[in-house]
Amino acid sequence: MDAAPPLLEMRSITKEFPGVKALEDVNLLVHQGEIHAICGENGAGKSTLMKVLSGVYPYGSYHGSIVYQGAETRFSDIRSSERAGIVIIHQELALVPGMSITENIFLGNEPRRFGRIDWQAANRRARELMSMVGLRDDPDTLVKDIGVGKQQLVEIAKAFAKDVRLLILDEPTAALNETDSRHLLDLLRGFRERGITSIMISHKLNEIEAIADSITILRDGHTIETIDVRRSGADEDRIVRGMVGRELSSRFPEHRPEIGEVFFEVRDWTVRHPISTERLVCKGSSFTVRHGEIVGFAGLMGAGRTELAMSLFGRSYGVYLGGQVYKDGRPIELRSVAEAIGHGLAYVSEDRKAIGLNLLDDIKTSVVAAKLSKITRNGVLDKAAQYHQAETYRRSLRIKTPSVDEGVVKLSGGNQQKVVLAKWMFTDPDLLILDEPTRGIDVGAKYEIYGIIQQLAGQGKGVVVISSELPELIGLCDRIYTVAEGQVTGVTARRDADPETLMKKMTSTKRTPSR
Amino acid sequence: MRTFLTKSVVVGAATLLALTACGSERDASSDDPAEPEAGFAQDSLIGVALPAKTSENWVLAGDLFTNGLKEAGFQADVQYAGASTTVADQQSQINAMVTKGAKVIVIGATDAAQLATQVSQAKQSGATVIAYDRLITNTGDLDYYVAFDNFKVGELQGQALLDGMKEKKPNGPYTIELFSGSPDDNNSKVFFDGAMSILQPAIDSGDVVVGSKQTSIKQTATQGWEAENAQSRMDTLLNSAYTGSKAPDGVLSPNDNLARAIITSVEGAGKPVPVVTGQDSEVESVKSIMAGQQYSTINKDTRKLVAQTITMVKALQAGDEPEINDTDSYDNGEKVIPSYLLDPVIVTKENAAEAYADDPKLGPLTK
Amino acid sequence: MTYVKDLQRFLFGGGTSNARQFGMIFTLVAIILFFQIRTDGLLLTSGNLMALIQGYAYISILSIGMLMVIVAGHIDLSVGSVAAFTGIVVAKVMAEQDLPWPLGILLGLLVGAAIGAWQGFWVAYIGVPAFIVTLAGMLLFRGGNQYIGNADTIPVPEGFRQIGAGYLPEIGPNTGYNNPTLLLGLVICVAVVVRELRARRVRQQMEGATPAPLWIAGVRIAVLVALVVYVTLRYAGGRVGTSFPISGIILLALAVAYSFYTRNTAGGRYIYAVGGNSRAAELSGVKLRRVNFMVMMNMSVLAALAGMIYVARSSASGPQDGLSWELDAIAAVFIGGAAVSGGLGTISGAIVGGLVMAVLSNGLQLIGTGSDMVQIIKGLFLLAAVALDVYNKNQGRFSILGTLSRPFQRGSGSPDPAYEPPKAYTAK
Repeated sequence: MDAAPPLLEMRSITKEFPGVKALEDVNLLVHQGEIHAICGENGAGKSTLMKVLSGVYPYGSYHGSIVYQGAETRFSDIRSSERAGIVIIHQELALVPGMSITENIFLGNEPRRFGRIDWQAANRRARELMSMVGLRDDPDTLVKDIGVGKQQLVEIAKAFAKDVRLLILDEPTAALNETDSRHLLDLLRGFRERGITSIMISHKLNEIEAIADSITILRDGHTIETIDVRRSGADEDRIVRGMVGRELSSRFPEHRPEIGEVFFEVRDWTVRHPISTERLVCKGSSFTVRHGEIVGFAGLMGAGRTELAMSLFGRSYGVYLGGQVYKDGRPIELRSVAEAIGHGLAYVSEDRKAIGLNLLDDIKTSVVAAKLSKITRNGVLDKAAQYHQAETYRRSLRIKTPSVDEGVVKLSGGNQQKVVLAKWMFTDPDLLILDEPTRGIDVGAKYEIYGIIQQLAGQGKGVVVISSELPELIGLCDRIYTVAEGQVTGVTARRDADPETLMKKMTSTKRTPSR
Repeated sequence: MRTFLTKSVVVGAATLLALTACGSERDASSDDPAEPEAGFAQDSLIGVALPAKTSENWVLAGDLFTNGLKEAGFQADVQYAGASTTVADQQSQINAMVTKGAKVIVIGATDAAQLATQVSQAKQSGATVIAYDRLITNTGDLDYYVAFDNFKVGELQGQALLDGMKEKKPNGPYTIELFSGSPDDNNSKVFFDGAMSILQPAIDSGDVVVGSKQTSIKQTATQGWEAENAQSRMDTLLNSAYTGSKAPDGVLSPNDNLARAIITSVEGAGKPVPVVTGQDSEVESVKSIMAGQQYSTINKDTRKLVAQTITMVKALQAGDEPEINDTDSYDNGEKVIPSYLLDPVIVTKENAAEAYADDPKLGPLTK
Repeated sequence: MTYVKDLQRFLFGGGTSNARQFGMIFTLVAIILFFQIRTDGLLLTSGNLMALIQGYAYISILSIGMLMVIVAGHIDLSVGSVAAFTGIVVAKVMAEQDLPWPLGILLGLLVGAAIGAWQGFWVAYIGVPAFIVTLAGMLLFRGGNQYIGNADTIPVPEGFRQIGAGYLPEIGPNTGYNNPTLLLGLVICVAVVVRELRARRVRQQMEGATPAPLWIAGVRIAVLVALVVYVTLRYAGGRVGTSFPISGIILLALAVAYSFYTRNTAGGRYIYAVGGNSRAAELSGVKLRRVNFMVMMNMSVLAALAGMIYVARSSASGPQDGLSWELDAIAAVFIGGAAVSGGLGTISGAIVGGLVMAVLSNGLQLIGTGSDMVQIIKGLFLLAAVALDVYNKNQGRFSILGTLSRPFQRGSGSPDPAYEPPKAYTAK
């Protein structure tokens, strides 16, 4: 292996933005046919490095050199890097939802004959490419009609349509459930056998461990180290240490639960899909939450966890068919979000950019947005109180920002999530429903968010955590409900919880006693 | 509290400072609106506000004003209203002329009733306001009105229509259609009433029949004097009242632009071209008359009208009373406006060469 | 750059939302100076300033409502037609039923409210895009105007004309100035000082926030007060019988009230929340439908008021009233810094934007530019103003403008891979 020249070498890359050095003297060495993982916290410079590589930041806008296939390259834009066989697949997929799989695969790259698009050839080639990535749908299916997992595969097929030699995946499994993630990782292994080189940016240490041949760790725009896994093995602690620059003795903070009485109960909650009248997204779901308890919800993608949470939160999803909610033993109605907030519910969405935050707001206005009445005096907003409240949360949640006057768009994912948490803590909720609270957040920030969750539980609030990462649920929750196809299929106490048991319940719809 | 005091002192100081810096424009002496003084300087500013450039007559008038006023030694500020925001444009243009200190403001109104405020402002600033071609209503501050005798225009059009049809077909009954101008133009009604004063007896006697039975000014109106509105109305009439071989013998059209639109419509329907009247002596219509399509037009020589207006301006400059020839016809709702009316001339193929003999643009067309 | 930023923060109230306004105020000053010199001082004469306000008050009133509509993520194309419709109804009823003019104004506002409720219903409760609803309204109420008015011009009574063409009365001793206008100026001066001091106190209460040095506050107050005094004397010192126009007072009152509402009340903030991210607002307990309904309804009420003011100024309601007003109002809002996609913009920005357009066309008219050229120049100016802002944003010139930048993934919209928020505070 050492004899073969590296496929790619990036030498002392430095990239500056006005006021910030995003990358400083970063080196990256990728060998032919390997899977090379790049990890680092958000803001460490991973995406910037990949944008330098793929020509998004053209030659001349950075310092340093890129040697690819033995020659120095100077990409002027994405097209020129794609011509060289470098294809980048972004975390946020770049597909047109209203177009078919074939149209998407060949978008901007249509096979032409005599100036016309040759759809026959395109469809034929699309089938070949789809079989390479294990996609067996009709190529005429519209992309919006297939799941996120399959959409990711379409993206990869699209990359192959461009004759890829170096495939770069930015957080490829961030939006995928366990099954789809596993499928994707298998696919990458298959590519390796066929000699295709991949670079994968990921937060998920278990995936990196499972698949990577080498790991390069970035922190604050610097290369920390490159680990050759085949020689020295991957040591999770070593990676984490490299990423956060300090020891993390545990992935979860110390927490001694003090669990009280049941105060929140949902019985036979039934909701149908907003459009399809046949489909039930919640089928008679029941669960309870106690004071001071962290309750987990595990389930595969599409099992109905988010649907359950949002339909409870003021009927924000689907059509309510039946069921009753009790709080402190009394039945309550949650017909609107305002009512839900009034009854002390808070819902932190899984998609904080799309529906959790107004990205035009600054931090202080975001924090108070869900309960303006709390800072209103005689019908007028008290700006000093607003500032004071935001400042309090900035300190207690350690939101990294010079001032609460800054726009939330400037914050990293972890800090944005803290703002969302602050926004809902500000409403003084009794029950917080957190939907994928650590998605897309780096290790260090995750640890802090776990701490906040535990602190909330420590104050006697009930916390519901929905997550696709089983280790997270097992490490954090006191009890874990499993959901499959809109039904609650069981509940597992923390001491009995392990991935296998949960996975079994997540895949069977047979109802086990839920209390 | 101490800071507040300091601030107050600052405010007071600034106020005093500013007070001395800019003085009042008020003249303590003249408390009442200034009467136009007898005469004004030879090189004074004369403002001319005209409607949007929708007809070549307004463009011609604008050019004539610019040149004529300059020749007479005045400064001319000739403005047209914008195409889409006509009234509001004209209002602010008149305001600008007032600001610039125009001594006389000549206004060809876009909407006769919506300029009262500006006319008052002009008057109070000491300017003399002359309504050109279109009477401005609801204001007592308008000084003069200069125009062609528009009732007479209507009479001539009505008579020409009857004469034209008689030439083609000696005996009635004749089928006609009526068109009137834009309802926001004060003149539309005057034209129409003039024409109807001739046509109504013929209609009453049954000699002339209005095919569509639309005889009121509201039914026959052409919004904004726009050709396309006239054309689409004519299309509709032909499709409803003139099915089969029926065809109108004559059409009363208030001006040339509309007349050509009406002819276009009739030709499009494949019917013989009826006798169509007109007004304004537009180039295309004079050609059409010479080609035997449009029957008549009215020669309201813009040159004469502009010349008359400039004569009035000159009289005002010298401090004289401008010549007027009508003091009882034009009541604008507030008062009777002293007017100077010019006589229009009817033009058909027969007398075209004679009528346009002096006209450098139209004359050659008649040869 | 930091110098400019400091100046902006300290002189113009700071915050990140008014960067564009800051630029527009400079542009406004530049345009005023340019035309003041080009017209040999005609621009800032009392008479011209009065005509300027009277000629643009109704457009600015529209732009207040339009700002809120655009911030909420909608558009209203019907305002000109609604104004014309209301104008003809009010004029006709007053003329034919002998309705006293104060009741006429009330009637007009009710007509506006009814039209607004109609349009708001379709937008908020049925979910038809505002563009379509108001395009329909544009045709509907233009036709209504012609149907009711028979395309006639109908004069309005003298009392009614005051709201569009009237001035503050002459009362009190002869001071060489119009006394009510002087009083108004004094009230504004006091308000400016009180507001400054209060803002300073609030800022001091916020721990961690550094208030501007005292002398800067002093300069700020002095500049504003001097400006108010100058303008007051201009308006108070015009020809006897003229002073600050009534329509200007209506505009001033509305601007202050709506500015306060949008900045300092929950209802105002909901409008920004809905425009910034409607789904997030909904999940924060904002009643989306109610906000959309109120915004659309408010717009039509203001359009009705603007229509009446124009009719009053023109002394009659005519068939050409309101033509292309919507475009002027929308242009003012965008020049004033609002975002096309909603969520951003301020009332004061819209007023300044309107003022820029007003001074521009007034100045051009004073130097004798034809209306055709005025339109061309205004069009180019609008394009240049917005393009400059977009360009600066893309270049990251003023980092402060970066905060105005919309991330591209709004809702579930397509993400832009090239977009990366500045990592200034995340890398630490």
